[in-house]
Amino acid sequence: MKFWFKTGTALHTFLILLTGILWSCSTLAADTETYREVPMPPGFQVIVSELEGPVFADANGRTLYEWPLRILRNGYSGETPGIPGCYDEVLEVTAGLMSPYPAGIKLPELENRPSCVDLWRPAYADDDAAGIGKWTILERKDGSLQWAYDEQPLYTSVRDTRPGDVLGGTTRNSRGDSPAYREPIVPPSMLPPGFAIKSTSIGRMLTTNTNESVYSYAGDSASAVVCHGDCLANWKPVLAPGLASEQGEWTLLERSPGERQWVYRGKPLYTHLLDTGSWSLEGSDNAGWSNVFTQRAPALPPGFTVQQTIAGDVLADSTGRTIYRYFCGDDSQDQLSCDHPADTQVYRLAMCGAGKPEKCLEHWPYVIAGDNQESPNRTWRIRTIDPLTGRYASAEQAGTLRVWTYRDRPVYLYGLDQAPGDVHGGGIGEWRGKRNGLRAFWLRDDFMGGIL
Amino acid sequence: MMQQHILRMPLSILVFGAFLIGSTDSLAQSGVIKDGTIGYVMTDLFWSVYQTETVEECPRGFNDGPREQFEQLFPAHEFLSVEETQLKQEIETWHPNTQPDGFEFLEVEGDLSWGLNLDGETGPNDFTHPDGSQGIDNEVYRAVGCIIGFRGPDGVEFIFQNKAILDRRYNRMMIELTGVDDLENDDEVTVSWYRGMDRLLTDATGQRAMAGGTQRVDYRWGTSLIRESKGKIVNSVLTTEPLGDLVVPWMNLSVPSIHIFKDARLQLSLNEQNATGLLAGYADVDTWYYQLIRNDSTHHLSNGQISGISLYKALRRLADAHRDPETGENTAISTALDIKMTQVFISHSEKNKVMASP
Repeated sequence: MKFWFKTGTALHTFLILLTGILWSCSTLAADTETYREVPMPPGFQVIVSELEGPVFADANGRTLYEWPLRILRNGYSGETPGIPGCYDEVLEVTAGLMSPYPAGIKLPELENRPSCVDLWRPAYADDDAAGIGKWTILERKDGSLQWAYDEQPLYTSVRDTRPGDVLGGTTRNSRGDSPAYREPIVPPSMLPPGFAIKSTSIGRMLTTNTNESVYSYAGDSASAVVCHGDCLANWKPVLAPGLASEQGEWTLLERSPGERQWVYRGKPLYTHLLDTGSWSLEGSDNAGWSNVFTQRAPALPPGFTVQQTIAGDVLADSTGRTIYRYFCGDDSQDQLSCDHPADTQVYRLAMCGAGKPEKCLEHWPYVIAGDNQESPNRTWRIRTIDPLTGRYASAEQAGTLRVWTYRDRPVYLYGLDQAPGDVHGGGIGEWRGKRNGLRAFWLRDDFMGGIL
Repeated sequence: MMQQHILRMPLSILVFGAFLIGSTDSLAQSGVIKDGTIGYVMTDLFWSVYQTETVEECPRGFNDGPREQFEQLFPAHEFLSVEETQLKQEIETWHPNTQPDGFEFLEVEGDLSWGLNLDGETGPNDFTHPDGSQGIDNEVYRAVGCIIGFRGPDGVEFIFQNKAILDRRYNRMMIELTGVDDLENDDEVTVSWYRGMDRLLTDATGQRAMAGGTQRVDYRWGTSLIRESKGKIVNSVLTTEPLGDLVVPWMNLSVPSIHIFKDARLQLSLNEQNATGLLAGYADVDTWYYQLIRNDSTHHLSNGQISGISLYKALRRLADAHRDPETGENTAISTALDIKMTQVFISHSEKNKVMASP
């Protein structure tokens, strides 16, 4: 990867940019998210990604990330605004941020352990670069200059290999005891005040700024609503303040004199008064009513199914077996991930097979792709993996498997799930599956925020 | 005229009149038992642990947890690797076995326990109920009774598992009694288990459930949880016949998980507002263990000095029912749980049954 970064010729850069532009155009269809244009340093750009929506990227189309300060169980990790904390130093011991295990234990595979900048390359600024808007320039310990946004130092990820990739970090799954994740930085949205967007497993969900789900009704139009009278006992129009004005995809409908309702993409918006929690999908159970998304999640692989469990709807393979994602972050001060096949496999192998790869294949089988299947998008891809090492391999290598991946990480089944609807693998592993373990791929639940 | 007459009455007479009306209403059981049906929703559930003030049941003290065991196993951890320490312990936790771990496990040593005589027999391993009843089967108590996290009022599991019953709709189990002629004595009633979909009706603190709420039956995701058994009421105590297997959804830290109780039965003191007593049966050992460790990380277990590694071995060692014909080992362990329920109106709305995914 370092080679790719350091040898970019003008032609190379042009091709990458062209690819990014073409890809962006291809995805900037009606159902992708718009954003507010803001001043950017020369060459920087915005790319609309499949899962995270619009993200800032550098001149080569590489997504820009920040590492926000996070409080963990026994201390902090991440970066204080204005102070870069990611350097070319290989940390050798644990930080003891996650009890009960103490600090000072030797980290795995030290001979191959990357430094923070091996995985997170600083977004260096030229000596003559000048800040603009929220973009500022910080000086690193070695005197080099680094771009910052809103004072947070910026990085690119070695996991991102194509413009529009957002494989290094995510705005999802960062609650509770998850590692201190890097997050893509995003441009301001086009949302009117009072709205918010939440990344979920099923798309970028539109909500109010108090996390109430927003719905639309199929029978409504931009100029007329059918929800009156008794309908309003369960559905509350999202009203616009007196000074609100129409902009882009956002228009206004006057329900009655002086009462204007927000309309998004031609559909008047409501909240559902019977929802029992934030980011709910419950309102969509009513015929004609739908949650509103700024963009939906990419298509699922062909043959995948949705299964009912006692906790909600879960993604499953063609035989109905629940699909799980593996999450892993180490307990070093730099909180390096261990959930990608290029990361150390020590943690995963311990959890899935007590250190034995053969056991892992029994306990956490990969989701095998059919011989004729192809990747439907860049979120769901088929990769070739060496099942004994857990590393990606060439298709020519003997003994490899073609497996399904999500965000370039393999997805798994769980050996003790016997019937469709079983989710016995959810929470298996350290920290309820958040730091070295499995979490089920939820598509709907009304109980625990599984889609978040 | 009538209105004027009422207005002339002293306030005390009006209050007394209102009291009489309320009492008469209550005596007639109006509104609570309808068509021989009354429902109760679970508000409290936790493993029944018999505790004395002097901790006589644990004369040798309490078990160590992961933090204490780690210090004993790896006093010089700074010279060791993650694989040799943390992951070694996590492997033992997530791939448990019955081999000794080098730590003495402190079981309950007293003779007394809450619970029921599940097998109808009195044996050398049975407890005696504090009321003198013999043959009490409660081996889960023997395993967890000397672990701080399982003891009230401040054990981590005691607090959080119980609180989850109140807070989490996923855990909203309820029973509906039908064919009720008399809530004090009835030769036969039908007891149906459902999961509700709604928050509990509580008082202003939000922490105390109140009778009179309504719960819709979860016919969408909860159909596999529906069970039915027969029971009888004697002197206001409901006793049910054993169920083949009762699945109780129990999620305390956002991991949807379950317990499976074989030969499950209830013994509940009933009135029109509450049902209080025991849920007893044989818990599937592996399900029991994984429900615990999937919800509670080693960190959480440490707060209650709960070594999952040691506890699993104890559960397997003390398992006393449902022998696996292939391995010859028991797969289930006798248990009793303190259960509290509050009267609720159960709605079997057809609408709940017909819901489409988005």
